[in-house]
Amino acid sequence: MDGDGQNYSVFNSRMLVDTVGDITDEALKASRIKDIIGVLVGRVFNWSQRKSLFPLHLGIKCCALEMAAAGASRFDAERFGVFFRSSPRQCDVLLVNGPISKKFADPIVRLWEQMPEPKWCIAMGECAISGGPYFQSYNVLEGVDTIIPVDVYIPGCPPRPEALIDGFDKLRQKIIRIGAAPDDGAPETNNPIIIGDV
Amino acid sequence: MGKTVTTSSQKSAAEEMASDLSAMDGVSAVVSERKSGTSPRNIVSVDCSSDNWRSLAESMRVEHGVDYCSMITGIHWPEGPSDRNWEVIYHFMRMGVDDPPVVDGMVQPIIKDPSELEGKEVPLEIEVRIALPETRDPKVASVQDIWVGADWNEKETWDLVGIDFEGHVGMRRVLQPHETPVGFHPLQKQHKLRYHDFEEMYDDAQGFLRKPSDTGKVK
Amino acid sequence: MAEMWISMGPQHPMTHGLWTLKVKVDGETVVDTEPDLGYIHRGVEKICESRDFTQITTYCDRLCYASANTWSHSYIYAVEDLLEVEVPERAEYIRLIAVELQRIASHLMWLGAYGPDIGNLSVMVWCLREREMMMDLLQELGGSRMHYNFPRVGGVKRDLPHGFAQRARAKVSLFLDRIQEYEALFDESTIFLIRTQGVGYSKPEEMVNHGVSGPNLRAGGVNYDVRTAHPYSVYSELEWEVPVERPSIMGADCYDRYRIRVEEMRVSALMVLEALDKIPLGADTYHSPGDPAILAKAPSRAPEGTSGSHHFEDSRGESMFYLAGGGEGRGKMPYRVSIRSPMFITIPYASKCMVGYKVADIPAIMGSFDPCIGETDR
Repeated sequence: MDGDGQNYSVFNSRMLVDTVGDITDEALKASRIKDIIGVLVGRVFNWSQRKSLFPLHLGIKCCALEMAAAGASRFDAERFGVFFRSSPRQCDVLLVNGPISKKFADPIVRLWEQMPEPKWCIAMGECAISGGPYFQSYNVLEGVDTIIPVDVYIPGCPPRPEALIDGFDKLRQKIIRIGAAPDDGAPETNNPIIIGDV
Repeated sequence: MGKTVTTSSQKSAAEEMASDLSAMDGVSAVVSERKSGTSPRNIVSVDCSSDNWRSLAESMRVEHGVDYCSMITGIHWPEGPSDRNWEVIYHFMRMGVDDPPVVDGMVQPIIKDPSELEGKEVPLEIEVRIALPETRDPKVASVQDIWVGADWNEKETWDLVGIDFEGHVGMRRVLQPHETPVGFHPLQKQHKLRYHDFEEMYDDAQGFLRKPSDTGKVK
Repeated sequence: MAEMWISMGPQHPMTHGLWTLKVKVDGETVVDTEPDLGYIHRGVEKICESRDFTQITTYCDRLCYASANTWSHSYIYAVEDLLEVEVPERAEYIRLIAVELQRIASHLMWLGAYGPDIGNLSVMVWCLREREMMMDLLQELGGSRMHYNFPRVGGVKRDLPHGFAQRARAKVSLFLDRIQEYEALFDESTIFLIRTQGVGYSKPEEMVNHGVSGPNLRAGGVNYDVRTAHPYSVYSELEWEVPVERPSIMGADCYDRYRIRVEEMRVSALMVLEALDKIPLGADTYHSPGDPAILAKAPSRAPEGTSGSHHFEDSRGESMFYLAGGGEGRGKMPYRVSIRSPMFITIPYASKCMVGYKVADIPAIMGSFDPCIGETDR
C-alpha cells in the first residue's frame, strides 16, 4: 500500500506491455487473423451481451412497481436474462422509470457515468419520455433524454410488464444491429426505437 | 354494525370546544358541518389573528388536549382583499391518545369502543385559519415546540409558499433542491407553470393547430 | 471510533423509494440520522391549480403509486365536501370495495418488499403473486393495472362488472387461506424474529405528537382509526373491528408493525366479502356508467370562498386534502390543493427511531414504517 514490497518493475512496466501489445497487434492485422477473430468473437460478444442485460435496481416512481412485477412470478423477466443488480458498476442497462426532478438530474447522470461501456438506456413510462403528466412542472425535466442518450422508449402510464419485456426485446434487436461495442460516431445507428414502429 | 363515533357526541364535543375557544380574545370559533359523501362530520372552525396565535396554540395543547398537528397549508391570495392576502390554515386533531396502561407488566391495548366515547374523549378535528395582510414577507409564530408534527409541515409551507415561521429552528428547503435560489417559492401566484399560456402548448410540434375561436380562453 | 456520515443515497435497493438517508455512525451504532427528500418532487400542488376537478383525480392516483385508489378516493371525498354533493349508497359500497382491495394490494407490496430487506427473498414472489390477483380484480373495476382513475365526483366511473362478485369472492377467500402461509413463513423463522423483535421501539404518545397515524400508531396499542373516529362512507354498516396490536412496555417494535399489517389485510379481505353481500341492489345487477344509482349529478364549479377538506384512512396513515374553491373567475379549477401525506411526517419520526441501533437494523426499521416516497414528495 505504501510502497512496500518488491518492485516487479519488469512486469509492471507500462512500456513493456505497450510494446508487446503493439507488435502483436501489427502482426495480427497483417495476417488478417485479427479480422477473423474480430468477426467470430464479436458475434459471441454480441450474443452474450444481448442475452444477459443487467438493469440497475433503480426505482423512481410508479413504473418501478411494474418493473418489480415484471421481475416477479407472473411475468418473470429473469427467464430472458434480465437480472437486476444494485451497483451501477455491474450493469448494462439504465432503466429510467419515473420523472427526473432537478434534484435527481445530477445523481442520475452520475449513475450513468458510473456504468461501464457498453451501456444502454431505456426510458420507461411517460414521465421519462417527455415529462409525462408533469410536463408543466417547475421541478421536472421534460424527459430523461435531455440529459442521457436514450436507446429505447417504452410508452405507457405505466407500461404493462409485458410492454417492458417487449422493450428489452427491442433493445436486443437494436444491439444486433449496432453491435455491443461503443460506436465511434457511425452515422444513422443512433436512432431510438419506439415500440410499435416495426 | 361497525362501531364508529356517533354524530351527536361529536357535534356536542365540537360545540363545547368551540364555545371554550371563543372565550379567548382575537379568536372566534364555530362548529361547521362537513358532508363528504354520505356521513356528516362536525369540525371546529377557528378564525384567529396572527398576534393571538401563539397563546391560542398553547391553550389548545394544554387545556383542550389537542395533541396532533395534521397539516399546515399556506395560500397566497394576491387578488383578495388587502387584509387577507396570505392565509395559513392549520388542521389539528384531538385524538385523546395516551400511552397504553401497563398492568402487571403486560401492556393492555386501549380498545375503546368508539360509539361510547363522550365529552372530552371524542376525537375532534380543529381547523384554524389565520389571515395575513399584504406584505412582502409574511410571518406567523411557529408552533414547532408545541407539536413536533408541525416541524416538517412548517418547513414545507415555507419552502413552497414562502410564509415564514418565527421561532422555527432549522428552517431549510425540504422538497425543492437545496440549491434553489433564495426567494423562489413556487406556489406563489406570480410564478406560472411551464406552457401556462395554452397557445404555447399548441405549438404545433405534432401538427395540432389551435382554433382561432379558442384564443384567450382558459380550458 | 471515528464518527462519520454515511449517505444511503438515492439509488439504494432497500430504501423503498427515492430518498437519501444520511446516517451518522459511530462504528456500527447509529448516532444521528437526517432524511433528505425531494428527489421526485413534481409540484403536483401547483399543477393541480390549472386542472379541472375531474382531471386532478389522475394526479392523485400517482401520488402514492402503491395504493392509488386510496388517494384518489381521498381527493374525491374532499371535492364532494367542496361542491356539496350527495353520493348514492351503491357507489359508496363500490368505493369501499375498491379501497379495501387496494389496501390489501398495498400491504402485499409492502410485505413483498420488507421480506427481502430482512433477507427472505421468496416472500417477494409469493406476495407479488397475490398482489397480481388483487390487481386483476382492480383491473376489472378500474381498467388499468395500477392507476385506475376510478372515482368520479358524485359516484364511481363504472359499476361492478358482470361476474365480478363471484370472482372476487373466490380470489379473496383464496387470499385468506394464503395469509396463513405468510404468517407461517415469518413467525416460524428465527432470523426474522431476531431481526424485528426488540428493534425500533416507538411509543404511542410520542407518535401522536409527531403526527404519526394509521397502522404505525395502532401497532402501539391504541385503537385510533380515521374510519371509526371521523366516520365517512359506509364503514359503520359493516361488522368489523379495528385491528390493534399489543406492544411491549417499551413501545411498538418492527414485529408489531408487521403483525398489524397482516391483521389489516385479513380485516380488509373480510370487509370486501361482507360488502359484496350487503351492497344495495345486489352485487350482480349492472348499471351503465352515469346511471344515478352509481353517479350523482354534481356541480362542476365551486363558489368563491368555499373550502373542502377530508381526511381518509390511507394504507399508511391519515391522508388529508384541503381544497380552496376559486369561484367564477377561475372556471372549474381549484384555487389551491393542499395534500397531507402521512409518510412526509412519519419518515422524520422513523429516522429518529433508528438512533441507538446498529446499521444492519436500518432497513428493518425503515421498511417496517412502510415508506412510500411518491406521496412524500408530491
